[in-house]
Amino acid sequence: MAGLELRNIAKSYGSVSVIEGINLSVEDGEFVALVGPSGCGKSTILRMVAGLEDITGGDILIGDNVVNELTPRERNIAMVFQSYALYPHMSVYKNMAFNLELSGKPKDEIDRRVREAARMLELEPLLDRKPNQLSGGQRQRVAMGRAVVRDPAVFLFDEPLSNLDAKLRVQMRSEIKTLHRKVGVTSIYVTHDQVEAMTLADRVVVLNHGVIQQEGSPMELYRRPANLFVAGFIGSPAMNFFDAVIEGGTARTANGLTFPFVSDQQLVDGHKVVVGIRPEHFLTGGALAGEVTFVEPTGGQTFVTLDLAGHQTMVLVSSEQDIDTGASLSVSAPIERTYIFDAEAGNRLSRN
Amino acid sequence: MTETTAPIDAATASSGGRSERLPTKIYLYTSLTILAAIIIIPLVTTALGGFKTLGELRGNPFGLPSDWQWENYGGILFSQRYWLQMGNSLLIAGLTVFLTLAFSAMAAFAFAHVKFFGSGFLLNYFLIGLMFPAATAILPLFIRIRDLGLLDTYWGVVLPQVAFGLGMSILLFRNFFRNLPSELFDAAFVDGAGYIRFFWSITLPLSRPIIATVGIISFVGSWNSYILPLIMLNSESKYPWPLGIMVYRGEFSTDWQLILAFITLTILPTVIVFFAAQKHIIAGLTAGAVK
Amino acid sequence: MSQTSSISAPRALSARTPAIARRKSNRVRGTWPVLVLFLPPALLLFTVFVILPMGEAAWYSFYNWNGYGLPTQWIGTKNYELIFNNGAFRQALINNGLIILVSIVIQIPLALWIATMVTHRIKGAVMFRLLFFLPYVLADVAAGMIWRFVYDGQFGLVAGIFNAMGMSAPFWLADRQVAFYAVLGVIVWKYFGFHMMLFVAGLQSIDKSVLEAADIDGATGWQKFYRVTLPMLGSTVRLSVFFAVIGSLQLFDMIMPLTGGGPSNATQTLVTFLYSFGVMRMQVGFGSAVGVVLFVICVVLAFSYKRIFMKND
Ligand SMILES: Nc1ncnc2c1ncn2[C@@H]1O[C@H](COP(=O)(O)OP(=O)(O)OP(=O)(O)O)[C@@H](O)[C@H]1O
Ligand SMILES: [Mg+2]
Repeated sequence: MAGLELRNIAKSYGSVSVIEGINLSVEDGEFVALVGPSGCGKSTILRMVAGLEDITGGDILIGDNVVNELTPRERNIAMVFQSYALYPHMSVYKNMAFNLELSGKPKDEIDRRVREAARMLELEPLLDRKPNQLSGGQRQRVAMGRAVVRDPAVFLFDEPLSNLDAKLRVQMRSEIKTLHRKVGVTSIYVTHDQVEAMTLADRVVVLNHGVIQQEGSPMELYRRPANLFVAGFIGSPAMNFFDAVIEGGTARTANGLTFPFVSDQQLVDGHKVVVGIRPEHFLTGGALAGEVTFVEPTGGQTFVTLDLAGHQTMVLVSSEQDIDTGASLSVSAPIERTYIFDAEAGNRLSRN
Repeated sequence: MTETTAPIDAATASSGGRSERLPTKIYLYTSLTILAAIIIIPLVTTALGGFKTLGELRGNPFGLPSDWQWENYGGILFSQRYWLQMGNSLLIAGLTVFLTLAFSAMAAFAFAHVKFFGSGFLLNYFLIGLMFPAATAILPLFIRIRDLGLLDTYWGVVLPQVAFGLGMSILLFRNFFRNLPSELFDAAFVDGAGYIRFFWSITLPLSRPIIATVGIISFVGSWNSYILPLIMLNSESKYPWPLGIMVYRGEFSTDWQLILAFITLTILPTVIVFFAAQKHIIAGLTAGAVK
Repeated sequence: MSQTSSISAPRALSARTPAIARRKSNRVRGTWPVLVLFLPPALLLFTVFVILPMGEAAWYSFYNWNGYGLPTQWIGTKNYELIFNNGAFRQALINNGLIILVSIVIQIPLALWIATMVTHRIKGAVMFRLLFFLPYVLADVAAGMIWRFVYDGQFGLVAGIFNAMGMSAPFWLADRQVAFYAVLGVIVWKYFGFHMMLFVAGLQSIDKSVLEAADIDGATGWQKFYRVTLPMLGSTVRLSVFFAVIGSLQLFDMIMPLTGGGPSNATQTLVTFLYSFGVMRMQVGFGSAVGVVLFVICVVLAFSYKRIFMKND
């Protein structure tokens, strides 16, 4: 086991730059999730760490060693692929034993370790099957078993759950978490599903266009998003945004909604900003009144779309309240949970 | 062999991943260059040989000609026989392609879409044709063509060629037709189209890739074919180029420089078309294998 | 095949296999016009020029006949006896066997090796593929003619090489002992590109991440090839062998310009034998019998190969 460090990693395909100067250090035993929209470069980063992709600039360190020039086999990493990448012609047992065999381990040790991993992942009854005789979830577990069995320095996951249905995904999510707790290997987990990232990781790194937007614990990202992108990306349903300008210390939209907020900075009047309020932070009753245009009950909570002066706003209310389409509802935004972002630069200006 | 697989895409190199290390690259380029030389040297020396004199051919078979003999090529290009043979080949191949496409597409359509008694049996009947070459039945075929009065006519070559190509073509067409979305049929039949209408205005326009594939297979087969014209044609004025090349060699048996020029000119169209349309040609010629 | 009516077909079933389950039913009346118009041209042509001649070959093979009038001189299985007692025919059988052997032992491994090279991520890989495929596109006759020049002991490339080394040039194609090996060389030159292309396709269809998984599992280049790539190419290899076998049995066009079957029948194949002994001499009965033997060999080989090796593909 070892920590991992990326120093100013860059990647370009020809003249197209995909990753620009990523710095990231992962501590020994830490579980870090990389999230971002499709095409932002998550897989590319992971594959560079694995040694499957050349790096254009910077250094990758595993433990204290620069591994830039090492082949995947020399890096002592394990990877779980999105498509599982099981060897179709080998049994589950063979799939898991392959790496140990290649590294010349004695037969009885291979057998012991494969069976141990199989027990941990409940794969024992499946050891003699071929991959095409397994369900999606089982294949997923074999892919993880193949990684676990070899006791690597670093675990890499590339969207390992995206081929599973929703229910199985939740189940496998908790299995991955349990697994990590048991073996405690440094892990990097790539996903575009922010819920997955938040539930699994010690630390989440948000990526966009090949640039790190923010990194921190899940709750830190949720509570204190550094910029508009993170604010919009983290949290479900997504944060509501209103274009506004500063007027006497509050933010005012073109349609006359005003949002007071707390800031350490002195903002001049006329400064263009974006106001952000999470649906779950609205309180019922208050100055912002509008017509209910859409109601989506989900059981415990109800999503209500409210027309605030022409602005479709998502509000989360407790399902105790019965709300009908067409009714009017008034809400308020708590001052300490009103986020203000610079409209141009995107960075957060409010204190929260 | 009934599953449809993506056609072979030889023109796409893999991208992404790690670039090769220097020793690997050296190994690859050295081996590939040697192999490429083995492929290309016979071809290039053939083409160059056509520019030499017989004497130089003997002393210097590999190098560039010291004195370019343009008249070797010129003489052939200005002769009637070269163009006549190319024309014959083109005509025979054109007819073969047209009839193969028409007959096999229609039959395959019936097999793919019409349920009728004995269709499975009849399809297998056609597939027998995949199993043996025309050569096995060449003598009875000759007698049949003779008795039909088609000896020494283009049809005497074209019809057997089409017949022997039907098995593979029907198979390729049928597999393609069966994989067209079935909603199309439902929609067309709801709109009141019958089978023939449907074939003409929906199936065929959607079948361009498979028409190209079958067309290429049958064109290349006919363009290069030797044994059928050899047996069915008597008069030199009807000879396609593979026969013509043999006759030419017979006439100028030791004038290698002329023969080489003649070979070069006859394969030149193939080489040009191959490099111009390589993607389609490779996909076509290997389609019978992957399907 | 059972008739499934579209009304009684369960929805779930027809949704899963829409193309097959639903197409078996005729939702449209009037299937006969399409059958009457679409099937007969192909059927007629195929029957008249493929099936009947094959049947007639079997019939003629029991006669001594020069092709004129009707075959009347029944000689039983004499033609077949003549064939199997003919030294040239036995040579042709051996030669065809050798071609198959060389295809399997030399040509296919060579093609596979080259395919692995041209699927590497290097500049010019596509160009190399095209170049290697080029001989396959050329007509057999032209290829044979080119190699006749290459092998020519007076003006050819081989002569050039020998002369440059100060030796007198051999006439390989005129040498009974060597001629067929020279022909085998041309066969490999001409056809390996086709097999290479099949392997390129096979290699491209292997999920790249499986190979990356092998990288991460620590497989070296050779281990990756031998333990992952090759097992996954199994069906391509079997297909490739199948085409090599079928192709070798048909070999004719290339032999004619090279050697015409000579010297003294050393390079005969089954088809050149049929041509020189049946067609050239207008021995319709004898030639037909050779055709029947060839047909039986083709069918038996094709069927048994498919039964034994390709039953899972
Ligand atoms: N071989 C390549 N050549 C050129 N551009 C590439 C190549 N591979 C990837 N890219 C580009 O690099 C960017 C990052 O790709 P990457 O696969 O890392 O995205 P990702 O974040 O993993 O997305 P997803 O969530 O869809 O998997 C994309 O814009 C992609 O188009
Ligand atoms: Mg990805």
